Amino acid sequence: MTNSANNKQLIACQQCDALYDKPELKQGQSAKCMRCGSTMLERKIDSIERSFNWSLAGILLLMPAILLPIMGVTLAGQYHHASLLDCILVLIDRGFFMIATLVFLFAIAVPVVRLFGAFYVTYSFKFKKLKPSLLYFFRAFHHLDNWAMLNVFMLGIVVSMYKLIDDTELSVNMGLLAFILWLISSTMASAALDPDYIWQKLEDEFVD
Amino acid sequence: MSLLISTAKENNLALCPQCHKLNDLLHEADKKEKIQCVRCHGMFYQRKPHSLQYTLAWNLAALIAFIPANLYPIMIIYSLGIGDPSTILSGIGQFIDQGLYPIAVIIFTASIIVPLVKIIGLFLLVYRAHTRIRLRPDKHSKFYHALELLGPWSMLDVFVVALLVAVVELGFVTSVEAGPAINYFTLTVIFTMIAANSFDPRLLWDLNSRDNKNQDKKEIKETNDYG
Repeated sequence: MTNSANNKQLIACQQCDALYDKPELKQGQSAKCMRCGSTMLERKIDSIERSFNWSLAGILLLMPAILLPIMGVTLAGQYHHASLLDCILVLIDRGFFMIATLVFLFAIAVPVVRLFGAFYVTYSFKFKKLKPSLLYFFRAFHHLDNWAMLNVFMLGIVVSMYKLIDDTELSVNMGLLAFILWLISSTMASAALDPDYIWQKLEDEFVD
Repeated sequence: MSLLISTAKENNLALCPQCHKLNDLLHEADKKEKIQCVRCHGMFYQRKPHSLQYTLAWNLAALIAFIPANLYPIMIIYSLGIGDPSTILSGIGQFIDQGLYPIAVIIFTASIIVPLVKIIGLFLLVYRAHTRIRLRPDKHSKFYHALELLGPWSMLDVFVVALLVAVVELGFVTSVEAGPAINYFTLTVIFTMIAANSFDPRLLWDLNSRDNKNQDKKEIKETNDYG
């Protein structure tokens, strides 16, 4: 009994395992480890509200960003354009199944699942519909942390535009705008999310 | 400076990697066994088991995959039916020829420097963590954190090729085909990411904290002796 009561007052650094008393943080404050300097706790401002709104925006932008053509080329009177989904379909067509799967995972599946996950969690918090299953859901959500690569794909778009601009007539389509907005909203949605707050709330609610 | 920091491990506590809840370890025997988190019910270990071995193995796999990734062409540009294969390095050479230096630097960093630094850096970290020769936990854990953040950016070249293949498809006039190197290159990136994931940065600090304590104890003892 005494032990588990004490544990609520302690935190440990994820990088170096140093043990501290849990500080009382106000919104906007964060706690850094004295030994290795990594951030241990961060109480983000209006995290539920902000994350909910950004993830809603991301879900609305998802379809246009994936389906609208990002850019097109014109050469010798011929025109061809491609969207994010086309990249994957073409790779499947040419027999690069592994690359197609991985590009699909990193540039579409993981970001989409993360957006819907953030939306579902913040929705449940916003409208006070907490369920015990959220504990499992939010744990699974954490496994995807490292594998969303929308920002890298954005840089890829910029580089390939540079590559094409010399030899061909390059045209930029609506898909690019949609993709940039989607990138911004999904990045903001996960940046605004405050996992420590969510875990704390879920613990108070469901774990005796 | 004698910062007396005690770790969770020394206090018989274990940090859940998913929800960051501190769990009690009731028995000594639990130290190497799977623990179920009381908060999120996920299974985890106090330290990742065989962390250095796993890191080393994945790292070696990445290094092996990196060789064909550089030897085979990553993309073949067809214009008027004639194919022009280019490897990662020759693609960078083309950018330099065209005078697009910033892009050449970006591609070179993302597809040559980052994977190499990651592979060599992880080998170094494993070596230092294992032998503890000239181990500087503060420096090395920052270095590890940087390696972890850099990882995904190596996928840049893969995305560029995927985009070019999809966009440049004008039949006979010009088209772009992906080369076999792209498979190996993607494997390199994935393997280094898994290698970085399997490394446990807390291993860098573990012995250190004990050493510090011993030192502190020694200092206290010495002061006592002289006092």
